Amino acid sequence: MHSTHIIFSGIEKRFGRKPILINSTLEIKSGECILLCGNNGAGKTTLLRILAGLDVPDAGYVSTGLGKHPWKQCRQQLRNTTVYLHQEPYMFDGDVISNLNIALQKPYSRKKRNGRVLSAIKWAGLEDVAHNAARTLSGGERQRVAIARAWLREPDILLLDEPVTNMDQRSRSSTIRLLHNLKQQGMALMITSHDPLHFEALADTSLRISDGSIRRYLSKDNVTPIHSRIRRNEQLK
Amino acid sequence: MGDSTSITRDAIYLLFSGDAELWAIIGVSFQVSTTAILISIPPAIAIAFLLAYTDFPGRRLTISVFNTLLAVPAVVIGLTFYLLLSRQGPLGDWRLLFTQSAMVMGQIALSFPILVAMGHAAFQAVDKRAWETARTLGASPSFAFYTVMREARFGLLAAMFAGYGRIIAEVGASMMLGGNILHYTRNIPTAIALETSKGEFSQGIALGLVLIILALVLNMSLQYFQGKGQVSS
Repeated sequence: MHSTHIIFSGIEKRFGRKPILINSTLEIKSGECILLCGNNGAGKTTLLRILAGLDVPDAGYVSTGLGKHPWKQCRQQLRNTTVYLHQEPYMFDGDVISNLNIALQKPYSRKKRNGRVLSAIKWAGLEDVAHNAARTLSGGERQRVAIARAWLREPDILLLDEPVTNMDQRSRSSTIRLLHNLKQQGMALMITSHDPLHFEALADTSLRISDGSIRRYLSKDNVTPIHSRIRRNEQLK
Repeated sequence: MGDSTSITRDAIYLLFSGDAELWAIIGVSFQVSTTAILISIPPAIAIAFLLAYTDFPGRRLTISVFNTLLAVPAVVIGLTFYLLLSRQGPLGDWRLLFTQSAMVMGQIALSFPILVAMGHAAFQAVDKRAWETARTLGASPSFAFYTVMREARFGLLAAMFAGYGRIIAEVGASMMLGGNILHYTRNIPTAIALETSKGEFSQGIALGLVLIILALVLNMSLQYFQGKGQVSS
């Protein structure tokens, strides 16, 4: 993982005549967690997929330490430095171990590969399900497998699309704990969510996307009493 | 013509007595069809993948063309290649007519649409997130392709077996392009046609049995692999 400071600017995306993103700007730094909220269809997933290099914007620039370049020129770099986690992570046919192995693209020796996979299993608390077929896992376990794959890949930026949707309290806490850990390791996180309250303790910056534009709407220094109370309750649990 | 019991008994005897002529015919069949399917598989699977995972002008038309080619009879493929490879044809200088190479060409043309159409369906059945997940986890395009292929393996195997089943049993193209020359281009279907026309039913039935056993083996193999990949309860 490297120290990262990337600025995305002028991002535009339309679906047919409907503008989804209009001249959007976004800044991501190492060890920072950005929470992106918005209604269904507001463009949260689209934005994340553009940042991951999966979808092509109509326009957009990426500024790194090496200057400002059109998005298309940086697509490969974005793919190399980000990992995108789908709302429902895809599990490949096979057990959890084989799913984790897919994240190890470097030519590791068998011993080192096994060691890395075992570390990931331990880190994500997947010991009990390590030999289970990944497709038979619960939503929370799948999410932890997906995050463990990202941990093995060590991206500079992790992009998560609604990572705790439809999860019970326990699974949600486990997932958020792993994300906390990744943040502490210096990974930049960008999370989309319908429900920002779950990530109050994790997010440094909260943004809202609506009508194609991104606005800052809540920060850690500006929490309302009710948010503060909910956060305290979550932490107590 | 003897009674059917004695004919079948003679056929089984021929098959298991190691009759050189019979086994030469079986050898030609397997050699030609295996060569054809092995040549067809890589480009056909690549095209099937591109049709499922990319968008380009003419994609829908290409899919329609391959689906249409599924229905073209073997004898029409044979006729087309006959015209191409005959002395007066555009490829006449290659001197390939009535050779195993000509038979291979015909069988490639027959198996290719099956591999593409069924391969396309197999790739379509795989969630697009498989490709995206592999790519976002740092896989190169070729490794991500391999990963998606692994996810679609049962459908792809079915495509390969169906393609192989079609070409090893076809008679039209092999007869027209191979010429049914003993020890060289006579394969199982052309031999069955010839022996039956001569009233030699024993050899025809023996060769027919080989095709039936082959079909059974292919289907059982597919069942075996698919059984392992069954949906869990």
